[in-house]
Amino acid sequence: MTASRRPVVLVVSLGVLHFVLHVGFGIGRAAPDLLTIGLLLMARDVGVGTAAGLGLFFGLLEDSLSVLAFGANSVAMTAIGILGSLTRDLFVGDSRLFVLSYLFVGKWTRDFIQWILVGEELRQPFTSEVLVQGGLGALYVALVGLALTGFIRLTADS
Amino acid sequence: MAYAPEPETSGTRQVVMAVGIALLSVGTLYMADEPQQRVTQAFQVSVLRPFIWTQETLAQARIRADQIDDLQSEVDSLTAVVSTQGALVDENRTLRDLLGLAERASPTYLRATLIRAGGTGSESLFFIDKGSADGVQVYAPVVSAHGLVGRILEVRARSAVGMDWTNPDFRVSAMLEDGSAYGMVENARGEFREADRLVLNGTAYHENLASGTRVLTSGLGGVFPRGIPVGTIDGTAEVEGTWRKSYWMRPAVEPGSVTHVLVAGMGAPVDVSGLWPGETMGTQTDEIGRDPGL
Repeated sequence: MTASRRPVVLVVSLGVLHFVLHVGFGIGRAAPDLLTIGLLLMARDVGVGTAAGLGLFFGLLEDSLSVLAFGANSVAMTAIGILGSLTRDLFVGDSRLFVLSYLFVGKWTRDFIQWILVGEELRQPFTSEVLVQGGLGALYVALVGLALTGFIRLTADS
Repeated sequence: MAYAPEPETSGTRQVVMAVGIALLSVGTLYMADEPQQRVTQAFQVSVLRPFIWTQETLAQARIRADQIDDLQSEVDSLTAVVSTQGALVDENRTLRDLLGLAERASPTYLRATLIRAGGTGSESLFFIDKGSADGVQVYAPVVSAHGLVGRILEVRARSAVGMDWTNPDFRVSAMLEDGSAYGMVENARGEFREADRLVLNGTAYHENLASGTRVLTSGLGGVFPRGIPVGTIDGTAEVEGTWRKSYWMRPAVEPGSVTHVLVAGMGAPVDVSGLWPGETMGTQTDEIGRDPGL
């Protein structure tokens, strides 16, 4: 597989796996948010417009399954696509600590934006939803993403 | 992360595209219901269809698994009910038969419940819930509606121990129903317990006993009264020279399935031929094969 194709295969695989786990098997929060991991990793490799487009596509897919807050996921994913792509100009490096922090902040930001946009009727308390659930979800995503990037590096080296 | 060549993240085209897409995403928040539904439906029937189908399939499989569990429980419950009713029907029939016999034989024959210990070495022994206080004596014959079950070995105050015809020590003097031939019925051990049979020994060589002929107790020896069905002739067992023949017998009673019996008490008559009229008697072996519900 060529180096240019690898991110595309990765993001498609993560997207499919995300929906298999969340929608197909109905696992819910026990499964990591692989869509966000795919978007954040891909955003570091593509232009800001492409990342935004991918974020919007992923967001619309998520919104198609959450009719009550249509648009919240689209905006949140588009935003972190753009922000993820911009971090390439601001932060250089792919150390473990950076990947961990990048994925943690990226996922937490996504949840935070979504929490703001879902509307007061559907919004859960900030402390439980953003600080506790959001923090745990972000940590989960960061750890899974870190393991994934480690695996990708191993396969790329071999 | 470092898989591809450095992209141009801040090119004008990319920035314009990003701004446009960002505005579009914000626009989705204010989209009217109808276009919202169209977008949602489009994704649900295309990209998301396989995942939704997977969820539906798994949900149906889960429901089916639950239904199978429920159905299995119902089948188990019904089986339990039916098997209980089967036993009740069988017991009811046995008791009705015995009641008829008890009415004919009373008051000298006592109704008793037969219990088996079931331990190794006690296969042909049984207990009854009547004892010396009720008038039961040692050697008293134990009978069911079909015929001879065995006899009493030991008597206690309120219970007694008996042996059925499968015991190797069991012997009874017997005769054909018409009194044309006499002999001694004894147990013939099979290779395993279920293969135990009765044999009629000691009949005269020149007497040919036809299969199906009823064999009753003869009353000789004074232990068993005359006229209790023991079984029916079921073919020749052995011929020795020109002086002795023995015959297999189909027993009138299968001791393993007997639960209620009559036991002879004091003053029981020495001839009970009238208690088992020939036309109403069949061996219990014949009846066991019959459906109790019929």
